[in-house]
Amino acid sequence: MNFALKMRVNGEAHEADVEPRMLLVHFLRDRLALTGTHVGCVVGECGACSVMVDGTLVKSCLMLAVQAHSCDVTTVEGLARDGKLHPVQEAFVSNCALQCGYCTPGFLMASCALLNRTPNPTEEQIRQDLSSNLCMCTGYVQIVAAVKQAASALRQWNTQDTST
Amino acid sequence: MEHTRHKHVGQRLRSKEAPRHAAGRGRFVDDLVLPRMLHACILRSPYGHARIISAHGEQAARAPGVLGMLTPDDIRRLSRPFKPGRYSAGLRVAIPEYASAIDKVRYVGEPVAMVAADTRARAEDALELLEVEYDALTAVTNADAASRPSAPLIYEELDSNVAWQGHVSYGDVDRAFARADKVVREKLSIHRYSSTPLEPFACLAEHTPERLTIWCNSQAPEVIYEALTEALNIDTVLVRVPDVGGGFGQKIHLIRKYAVLTALMAMRTGRPVKWIEDRSEHMMAGGHSCGQEFDVEAAVNVDGEVLGLKIRDTDDVGGSIGALTIHFTNKLNNLFNTYKVQHLRLEGRSVLTNKCPVVPNRGIGKPGMCFIWERMMDRIAQELRIDPIEIRRRNLISADQFPYTTPNGNIYGSGDFQGLLSRVLEKVGYAEIRRQQEHPASNGRLLGIGVVIGIEPGGRNAARDMAIFPESKQMPGAGGVQGATVKVEKNGRVALTLGSPSCGQGHETTASQIVADVLGVSPDRISISGTFDSTLSPWGVSASNSGNNFHLYDVGAVHGAATRLRERILTLSAHVLKADRGSLQIDAGVVHGASDRDGTVTFAELGKIAYANQSLLPVGFEPGLEETYYFSHPHADPLMVPDTLGRVRAQYTFSSAAHAAVVEVDQDTGRVRVLRYVIVSDNGTLINPDVVDGQIYGSAAHGISVALGEGFVYDAGGQLLTLTLLDYGKSTTLETPQIEIEHHPVPDPFTTLGQKAAGEGAAIPSPAAIASAVEDALSPLGVKIRHLPLSPEHVWHLVHDARRSPGER
Repeated sequence: MNFALKMRVNGEAHEADVEPRMLLVHFLRDRLALTGTHVGCVVGECGACSVMVDGTLVKSCLMLAVQAHSCDVTTVEGLARDGKLHPVQEAFVSNCALQCGYCTPGFLMASCALLNRTPNPTEEQIRQDLSSNLCMCTGYVQIVAAVKQAASALRQWNTQDTST
Repeated sequence: MEHTRHKHVGQRLRSKEAPRHAAGRGRFVDDLVLPRMLHACILRSPYGHARIISAHGEQAARAPGVLGMLTPDDIRRLSRPFKPGRYSAGLRVAIPEYASAIDKVRYVGEPVAMVAADTRARAEDALELLEVEYDALTAVTNADAASRPSAPLIYEELDSNVAWQGHVSYGDVDRAFARADKVVREKLSIHRYSSTPLEPFACLAEHTPERLTIWCNSQAPEVIYEALTEALNIDTVLVRVPDVGGGFGQKIHLIRKYAVLTALMAMRTGRPVKWIEDRSEHMMAGGHSCGQEFDVEAAVNVDGEVLGLKIRDTDDVGGSIGALTIHFTNKLNNLFNTYKVQHLRLEGRSVLTNKCPVVPNRGIGKPGMCFIWERMMDRIAQELRIDPIEIRRRNLISADQFPYTTPNGNIYGSGDFQGLLSRVLEKVGYAEIRRQQEHPASNGRLLGIGVVIGIEPGGRNAARDMAIFPESKQMPGAGGVQGATVKVEKNGRVALTLGSPSCGQGHETTASQIVADVLGVSPDRISISGTFDSTLSPWGVSASNSGNNFHLYDVGAVHGAATRLRERILTLSAHVLKADRGSLQIDAGVVHGASDRDGTVTFAELGKIAYANQSLLPVGFEPGLEETYYFSHPHADPLMVPDTLGRVRAQYTFSSAAHAAVVEVDQDTGRVRVLRYVIVSDNGTLINPDVVDGQIYGSAAHGISVALGEGFVYDAGGQLLTLTLLDYGKSTTLETPQIEIEHHPVPDPFTTLGQKAAGEGAAIPSPAAIASAVEDALSPLGVKIRHLPLSPEHVWHLVHDARRSPGER
């Protein structure tokens, strides 16, 4: 029996009938066509499918869509504002912190979650936190640099957020 | 043109690809949806070795939503086996290999059948209803057991699981050994691993009476193009490659099986069909690097000069004849590493086992060759009581020997190996670390440093394998061919079409920098089609995102096309401006003469003339402003094809790097922590240093992870125990060190801009560097490192065995 699901995704309200077994990542990708969230392992090890659910970082392959019923979900598509990249996105671009781009949306969400909790992380904290995600291309050096750089830019962005 | 020549080349230009990926706008195969599209899943072998007795799909076919089924009988009836290609050169009996298992399964995960349904979930449900009856056979899971005469045969057509044996020999090896003061012997091995691209295989096929279109995340579209043509007997094939989520060699070879199965399903059902591999499928059946065992003997004289080397190489190639010799032949690419040794014999055996077939993989064969050289250098140093750095110095090719031809015919255009070594020692603080080692830590942790040097070949010569298989009937080609198209559009923008797919190496960015300099436009004004399309992209044998081909072939093609286009722009501009063609300059997309009186014409104005206003074209000027250039390396000879001594250039450029690893080994846990990792690298002229750095960081991180423990483990029955990335042991941000890079570029005298390769490079010496550092750390215990990976378990055993019986290691 299908379930009548309600969910806010990137600020937009959605209603859909879903099979209870449908994973959140498949709902986002296949039903809402938000293809920025990627599938790398479907068992919660690579982090490519990371999204925010009610402000908490979640691997969307480990959550059923129905478990996010009535929740507020943010995907990588929801980070930019008015066509301007989010500071974490911008830092990834300017630090060459991505190559093939497949892990990138997950790293961006994990980095945002880290910086929300810890606005000034040390390198050790960054490495500890981002060990939830795997990248096969970069060797992580430029990713760590990007997160460091994003930290200061993000404070300014968040200040603008409250004033607008 | 001189004044604009290097305005953009050499700069850390902001990536052209990164913004779309950071915004979640990458477009991968799984992101594509076609009307009426079905979803396919594959039933795979649960056995390492078994005969297929029967396969029945009737019940599965009646399951809800199921619209298509392919059983082994269907696949035999509806498709043809692949032709044995370059990778199976040396196979002594023609053995047909289909896209799936037909009568036997030879590894866990081998594809057996395919189901297509209206949703992925329903296709997965139906798989469980497929009935396949197997007669299980004894699996053989290591090369030693598999090569015994009594071993069960993996292919009955062959009289042995040793499917190939051969050798190459250069110089006079026996004489070198006869005049040696000493022979140093060692047994070494490298385990099975992969590059585990984060995006698994993906295919989407659509068949119409006009043509078969396949969207596929292949690194080598030619392989897919030929596989579909061969297996399905059709020549109306269109291969499209959109964004690819990492390749590293994994997406070259075995992916063709799935392209054929997906295409066959699309033909059978008359509907578009998408197949997306899952992670455990990729770990089981996506392809592994070869397990390699080496018996090595080095002939040396007392002052440390290496006179000759003999290697017996046993390659565990898994359960397929499809890639029999590639790990062996790739050793020809760096057979002599950085050393001036003149005499070498390499014997090879490819042994079939009931494990995943082997495929190319970041570095393929070359990490093994570098491991042999660098382990032997350390061993020779120990046996002769000479410093390990000094032993290398005495054997390095010196700076005044370039261009240098290796005994097997590779031509190293330029290099400074002594300089790399000096710089890496200084940057890592070698002397200081040696001082620290004199005061061991009280916590029982041992400090070690390893310094190695290696080669990164680039730009493949298609005729390489002819050195080993001169009798081969199917010469894959010779040299290399690759194209590019550059166009000024009607509105003045520049459009560039590359002839090869990209897997994240910044090709759009790098190519834009070259075109920007040649044409005199801002890189912002250049647009690139990110999708490879076999009907539109100008491609040749080198159109593969592998073999470090881009820097030589694509760069040459892009530069060639832009240079031709510049000539046409100047011709048209001279006519429009009524100016002397020789006096014209181009800046920021505006053509102008030497003085203000000559006037100016913009690319946009030229575009309107070239595509719309015949009255303003010079007489005899072909309309349009578009040029395609197919590039072959102008210095591909000598030794493009093998000479009578079997010498042939495997690749055309040779980057090099010295690596220094500083490690700390915990004797109680066996855990190795990499404290520092320093690379001094010569990649010739850097077109975009950020892109080059990214390639070095990534390939080093992979090689370090390989050395520290990532790898595949099978049980005795052929079951793979490492089905997930965690079990497999991929390093994360925690185990991967902060890699440090210094560039020491020596431009290549033979390439377009002096560039050399930067791709798989640091994956080649890094396993050897970690091995050397761990051995150095454990030297107080007398431990020798011979085998990878250096997992905590392995290191713990080495430490404890050494303590139990000191002096015997």
